[in-house]
This record gives sequence, C-alpha cells and structure tokens, in this order.
Amino acid sequence: MGTSRNVERRTILKAAGASAAALGVAATAGCGGGSGAGDGTVTIRYSWWGAEERAQKINKTIALFEKKYPKIKVKTDFQTYASFWEKFQTQAAGGNPPDVFQNAVTFLRKYDKRGILLDLKSQVQAGNLSLDHFRAGVTKVGEVDGKQLGIPVGSNTMALVIDKKVFEKAGVEPHTGWTWDDYFKALKTIHDRTKVAGDTGYFGIMYLYDLYLRQNGKAFYTKDGLGFDKADLTEWWADGYGRVKAGIVTDPKVVAQDFPKSSLSAGHGASEFTWDNFTVRYSSEGDSTYGLAPIPTMDGKHTGQYLASLMLSASARTAHPKEVAQFIDFMVHDPEVGTIMGYDRGILASTEQYAAFKPTDAVNKEIAQYEADTAKAGVLGTITPHPSGADTIEAAFLRISGDLGQGKTKVADAVKQFFTESEAAFQA
Amino acid sequence: MSATTTKPPLLSRRRTGSLGWHLGALAILAVILYPVVWVIGASFKPSKDIINSLRLFPSHPILSNFKGLADGIADISIWTFFQNSLFYAVGAVVGVLVSCSLTAYAFARIRFAGRNLLFSLMIGTLLLPYHVLLIPQYVMFQKLGWINTYAPLLIGKYLATEAFFVFLMVQFMRNLPRELDEAARLDGCGHFRIYWSIVLPLCRPALITSAIFTFINAWNDFMGPLIYLNEPGKYTVSLGLMMFRDSDGVAANYGGMIAMSLVALLPVLLFFLAFQRYLIDGMATSGLKG
Amino acid sequence: MGPAVTLVEDSLPTARKTRSAAPATRGRRPGRRRENLAGYLFMSPWIAGFLLLTAGPMIASLYFAFTDYNLFNTPKWVGFDNFTTMFDDPRWQRSVEVTAKYVVIGTPLKLLLALGVAMLLAQSRRGQAFYRAAFYAPSLIGASVSVGFVWRSLFSDDAIVDRTQSFFGWHVGGWVGNADWVLYCLVALTVWQFGAPMVIFLAGLKQVPRELYEAAEMDGAGPLRRFWNITLPMISPVLFFNVLLETIHSFQIFGSAYVVSNGTCGPADATLVYTCYLYQQGFQNARMGFAAAMAWMLLLAVALVTAVLFWSQKKWVYYEEDAR
Repeated sequence: MGTSRNVERRTILKAAGASAAALGVAATAGCGGGSGAGDGTVTIRYSWWGAEERAQKINKTIALFEKKYPKIKVKTDFQTYASFWEKFQTQAAGGNPPDVFQNAVTFLRKYDKRGILLDLKSQVQAGNLSLDHFRAGVTKVGEVDGKQLGIPVGSNTMALVIDKKVFEKAGVEPHTGWTWDDYFKALKTIHDRTKVAGDTGYFGIMYLYDLYLRQNGKAFYTKDGLGFDKADLTEWWADGYGRVKAGIVTDPKVVAQDFPKSSLSAGHGASEFTWDNFTVRYSSEGDSTYGLAPIPTMDGKHTGQYLASLMLSASARTAHPKEVAQFIDFMVHDPEVGTIMGYDRGILASTEQYAAFKPTDAVNKEIAQYEADTAKAGVLGTITPHPSGADTIEAAFLRISGDLGQGKTKVADAVKQFFTESEAAFQA
Repeated sequence: MSATTTKPPLLSRRRTGSLGWHLGALAILAVILYPVVWVIGASFKPSKDIINSLRLFPSHPILSNFKGLADGIADISIWTFFQNSLFYAVGAVVGVLVSCSLTAYAFARIRFAGRNLLFSLMIGTLLLPYHVLLIPQYVMFQKLGWINTYAPLLIGKYLATEAFFVFLMVQFMRNLPRELDEAARLDGCGHFRIYWSIVLPLCRPALITSAIFTFINAWNDFMGPLIYLNEPGKYTVSLGLMMFRDSDGVAANYGGMIAMSLVALLPVLLFFLAFQRYLIDGMATSGLKG
Repeated sequence: MGPAVTLVEDSLPTARKTRSAAPATRGRRPGRRRENLAGYLFMSPWIAGFLLLTAGPMIASLYFAFTDYNLFNTPKWVGFDNFTTMFDDPRWQRSVEVTAKYVVIGTPLKLLLALGVAMLLAQSRRGQAFYRAAFYAPSLIGASVSVGFVWRSLFSDDAIVDRTQSFFGWHVGGWVGNADWVLYCLVALTVWQFGAPMVIFLAGLKQVPRELYEAAEMDGAGPLRRFWNITLPMISPVLFFNVLLETIHSFQIFGSAYVVSNGTCGPADATLVYTCYLYQQGFQNARMGFAAAMAWMLLLAVALVTAVLFWSQKKWVYYEEDAR
C-alpha cells in the first residue's frame, strides 16, 4: 500500500462529502401535493383520452363552464386511448375513478357490471341534466338495461372510405344500395386494372362484421354473448383470407409495415372501412383524394348501420353527483361548447350544438353530409350494447384475423381460438 | 521497466494501432448512431414525411416542430414537464444512492444473523415482474392519500427496493480490500465511519453508475407517472411525449413528438456527460489498481 | 500485486464465503450482538421497503395466482386452475417460445457487443469521453416512442436493412410486419442498447492490473491468449453480474416489444414476449388471477436459471480467494 493513496483518499472523501451535501439539499425539497378544499367550492375530476389538440379545446370549454358555475372547479387529466383505459382500470379497481370521464359503448356493460358507472337517470329526474334535444335516437347508445350510463357528445357511424383517384382510374363507382357482390367485384376490377389491392383488410374489423351480421338478421353481440356461430365466422374469415391470397385485399404484412399510417393513405389499398369521423386522417397522411361511400348490403337496402358515440359517464362513487350532472349537461348542450369542439369527437350529438357548429372544411362537410344522407336513407338501426368483455373481444378479433392473414394459422384454428378467448373474456 | 530497448518499434506500432483503433471505433459508431441520426433528421421533417419517407435527412428541413414546442403542449409549458422530470429523477438518484449503499454495506461488510436469507429475498424481488405488484401497491398508496403526488414514485427509491443497485453496490463493495476497514476498526472506527469515510468514497464508480442508471430510468419511466399522477401540470416529460399521439384515428403530430423526444434527451445526455468521467476515472484514482 | 488481487476476492455474496468465514468470526468477535444490531440498522431502509412495499403485494399476487380475480370481484379460490389453463393456452406457449428465443439470441449478442466495445474503450485513447458517450447514446433513448419510428424506418420494405440484405440476394421485403422476422427487430433493438452492461464491463476492465498484461506480454503471449488467460478470468465476476442481470432483464423484457410492435406484440403474436402477454391478460383483459399465476411461473423459471448460474459460477467465475 502506498502513502500517496491516503492523500488521494482524503480528496475523494471531501468530494464525496460535498456532493452528498448538495444532494442532501435537493432531498429536502419534499413532495407537495393534494388540493386544498375550500369554501363550498367543489372540485371534480374529468378524464378523457385524446391528444393535445383536443386538450386545448377542452380547456377552453372548461373555462366557459367554470365561468358559468364559479363554485365548481374542474381538474382534467388525459392520455392516449390505451393508456387511458389502463389507468382507468387501475383507478377504478382502487376505488378512485375520476368523477366524469369520456366513455365508449364497448365499456358500458363492463364497468356497469363492476358498479363503477353512475345511472344518470336520477340526475335527469332531478333536473340537473337534460336528455332532450338530441339527434334522433343517439341517447340510446348510452342506455343499458334501462339505465342511462353515458350521455353522447358526438355520433359516428361506420363508413367506407375510398381512394377516389384509384376508383376513377379503374372505372368503378360505388352507389347507394350496392351489394357485397358488387363490392367484391369492384375490388377485383380495381386490382386487375390498377394493381392496387381493393381493400385494406375488411375481415378483421369487428364493427364491420357486426353490420354484415345485422344485415343477415343477427348481430355480433347479444346481451351476454356472441350473436353468431362458428360456421358464420368460418365463412367470413375463409372468404377474407381467400381475398388476401388473391391480392384483392392488402397483404397484412404490408398493413403492419405501413403503420402508423393507414394502408389506404399509403396507396397500398383502395378502400377501407372505418368510422366516418376518422376520415380526417387520410387526407393529412396521404396524397390522393378520399371520399366516403355507402356500406355494401345484402338486399340492396339495409346497411345495418347505427349511430355510435363517444359519451360522458360519471363515477358511481362521485361525491358530487349533482355537479357532475351539471357539468355533463353543459358540455353536451351548450352551443358555444359545440362551436369550440366541432366534430372532434364525432358529429355533435345534441341539436343545440349540431345547429351551432357548421363545418367549413371539405372533409368535415362530407362527414356531416354522409351522416345526414344515411339518416335520410332510413337505414339507421339501434346499437346493441356490448356485453362485458367486448373490449377484449374486439382486440382478439383484430389480432386473430391478422394471424390468419399472415398465414400463421388455419381458418378452423383461428375460429376456435376466437371462441375460446371470447368465452374467457365474457367470464372475466 | 525493461521495455526501453524495444521502444522505437513499439511507438510506431502504437501509432498505426491508434489509427486502426479510431477507424474501428468510428465504423462501429456509424452503425450504432445511424438510428440516432435518423431521429435528428426526422425532427426537421413535417409529420407527413416522417411516416411517408424512409430517408435519413429531410428534403426540405423545417423548424416548426421545435418552434411548436415553445408554445407548450396542451396549454402546458414544456418547462413544467422538464421541472417535474428533473425533480423526480434527482429525487430518485438521492434516494437510491443513500438507501441502496447503506443496504449494500450491510450485505457486503457486516456479518449479521440472517444475512443470507435476506440476500436471497432481495434477489428474489428482482425476479417478479413489476406489473403484478402494481395494483396492490396502487391500492395501498391510495389509502395513504398519496395519489397525484410523487411520493409513490419516490418512496421505493428511499427504501432500497431497487435491488439491481443494491446488488451492483454489493459487488463493488465486496471487491474492496478488507484490510482497509480492519485498519479503521483498529483505530476504533464504527461501521458508520467505515461506511462513510472509507467504503463510500472507494465505491464511487458503483455510485456513479447507479446514479446514471437511476436518473435515466426515472427520466424514461412511463408506467409509474401514468398511474399515479392525475393532472397534466404534474406530468413528467415521458407523459408529455404521449400527448402528441393520436387517439381517435386523427393523424398525430409526429414531428412535434420527435422534436420533443430529442429535447427530452438533452438533460439525460448532459447528466451522462457530466458523470461518466467519474465513472471510469474513479477506479483509476481510487488507488486500488495495484 | 497484493491489493490488486484482493480486488476480485469474493466478488459474490454467495453463502460459501460467509459460511467459511463465519466460524472464525464467531469465536473471536465479542460484539456479535453489536454486529447484528449494526447490520439490521444499516439494512433498515431495505427491510422497511421490503415489508411495506414489496412483501405485501408479492404475497397478495401469490394468493391471486390461485384465485379467479378480475380486479373488481373478491378473489375466488380456484386451486391450480390458472396454471392448468395456462399450460393449455396456445398463446401462453407462444409467449414462452418467443421469450426463450429472445433470451437465447439477444442476451449473448448484447453481452458480446458490450464486452467488445468496452475492451475497445478500455484502452486510453484520445477522445475517449466522446466515444463513451456516443456508444452509450442508444441506451439513453430507452424505450422512447421515437424508437418505434426509427425501427420502422430501418427495417421496412426497401429501407436500409432490406436493401443491404437484397444486395446480397436475400430478399425478405422488410422485417417489420413479417411474422417470421419481426422478432429479430426486437433483438436488434436490445442489442443496440448495450450501454448498461458496457459501462459495467468498463469498470471491471479498469480493475485488471496492468502488470499482469505486461508480464504476459514478456512471456510472449499473444492478444488472444492474454484475453483468455488474463482478461476473462479477471473480469469474470463482473461478467457474471452482467450475465445474470441481463438474463433476468431479458426474461422480463416489455417496453421494447411494446414499442416495436406499437403495443400489439404482434404481428401474429411474433413479438408476444412473456411480460407482454401477462400485461395483456392482467391489464387489458382484467384476468388478474391468471396474470399473477403467469408472474409466478416466470419467477420460478428465472429463479431456476439464476440458481443454475450461481451454481455454475464455481466452474467459471474466478475468485482470487479460491486460487490462493
């Protein structure tokens, strides 16, 4: 052992001591937190999913609300869709869900079964929340077993988005009342003439299969299970896979590679089924022109469509049901809120807001027109509320059809796997 | 030593060796940094290009991704996110350094009954995936009224639950010559003196390594802040990043997101640059090299 | 050379060392009680943390593993049901397969690269600090969202990797989206982030006394022999640490798989690593009992591997103490 080491050790010691002292100071900067309650002022928590644009709009509407109801403070919290539900589930399981939150039809029964959702009927009766002045039948979306579990903010419906340029080039034109045969023939023509696959993967979209089943007098869900049998699904998936192999439907490998872009905007497919209000994305991602087309039918008339909707729901555990109801009422009925939000969460659901906001851009105009046309055509039915576990089943449907499209599983195995997983999801 | 006779050839060999070394290192670097360069390039592309083109550099570089950050995200200044992340990361570093080094000292230097059992238990905590502990922990923190504070995120760091760092420090402490503390003991030093004056300074590389890793982990932590923080004003950078993401099929602001992720990288990079020096040189100056 | 050698002495807190030392100490030291007190005093943060934060939730999860529990119900005891359904579940089997493949391919590659670069950087050269930081940069990015984009841009059809591959006449058409190849994207991401083991290797390499090399060089040992006979044994404790920790981490890999697959762990479950499936079952499907059972299976598997590694160190980890 050398003597020099001791000297060095001493200097090290000093340095270590100094840095520890510096760190020690930092350590005393404690963790403040918790909001002080006040003088009759009530604070409610409002959570939703979305991105910063929606956040800015919502912040503005909350400022309006707080001006009108100075005794109610609203704290917001938002994440992306997947993170939102993760967090919501953790909070709900811990008995600490937000007072008000954005909700979708898939989750109504799931969280109703678990006693998380407040039946807003009593608040309607108390006069804190109005169910009047909604567009035709849209409040039904939030109704489960006679309970009003959600109040719609905006509606949407399934639509077919097409690449107009490709359709034109192939000389194909969609028309109201066209049949599935017409549609698949069109896809083949498109593929033959332009070398582009006609569709980006229709057979994996649960909501589209629901429409198809409804056209055939069934539905994807019953109150507590699946509304179709293995033979139905086998046919649907076998046809779908056949069309992938024929090149009419985009290769799922390509779809996965195009993500986060849609294969439609990447030019790898000529049409795609999705919610009408999602079509904004295509023009911002891709270079072609995109338009909305009618859903194909079995009988030349019935599309099976219905209005779905994003909703606001309240927690059954909220300490301030009245204030929460007032908040929801304001958010769905106030015209000024309507002009701020626009079609961000679908076509505005209440007539007050629908009248207050008139879209100026081409895409949103077309969406509004599409829903108006669909309503006029008299094809809109009512939605079947999804049973508990529907969120899991939707994901499984998409995933397993993806496996199938990749050729990683046989149709029979895929169908079997789907039914097994559905069983587990209903039981959970 | 007796190398004087071979000095001239050795020198020239060293020079060509040095050139080769740099060439080799740079070649590996080029491959490894390609993705990093891609991110930098992407931050100057419009969102549409980011998802459409595979090119390394933008055809028409734009600054708007960065300019947009100055306006904040969702009405919140990005400084807020940075302050929050910094508070969390520094708080975590302090906690890990103090608590893990104390624990490691006990494992490495004190012979007490039950040590082996506790050590196995500690290693055992490394093996269980974090996710399964999440819900029970959430329920507990909620009962304590700690939701929407940083306490649930930090408490574990102050109670040495980061077994990785305890283990790392144990490894290093066991490497220190025992003569040192035996000598100190003869001088009448107690364990705390030995820990504080001898072991800690000599373990600086392990401490620095732990500090760097802890800082980075806390900075990148997503799940913890997501679950425990309930208002955007308290969000960390990692949560702020997600605010650019789309949710309802609307195209997202990918440009802003990538720009933000680059800016978010800077503090971590600075932290690493500031401390990495001690990381390696610490060993050299500890005088233990023989 | 004395102190240098003691450096590597007893690098691992195995029971062996303690046991062999214990009898001697017991007899001599009068303050055994005081040592115990000191030990527990120093340990108190960890003990508190373990009892308050870890033990409870761990026991809870062990209990959940034998119940039907969806986060909202009172857990219902079902015995080994979760385990039997798990073994029959094709997706669980898939996740085991994917994880095993990932661990076996990814871990050695990552460690090799980390060791190689660490040895390169251990030589004192100009600009060392720059190199060190540059090589560490990928690890700083972590599992950040932007990595998802980068990986897509690297491994898509007609992107740089695919072009290089096609140049050699091996056309795959992109790894992303291809169920047979996407796992290698994931492996590449892990290997790319080799900074942490590299830093630990560097610290270890710096401990190897230079005289050993000089002596060997004078004996005419080439670089390979020097590596094999000096470097490897001298850093074997650090190597052991890295192997152990990287293996454990690989078994638990989650974030990278999530980012590479955009949260789906697909396509076709090709990146369905164990923790990802656990997460899907526990958090997306609310099957907490099943997820807990999965977690404990993983714990058992990793514990087994850990035990084998600890046992194997007798054969390949070099401790001065044993050589003496």
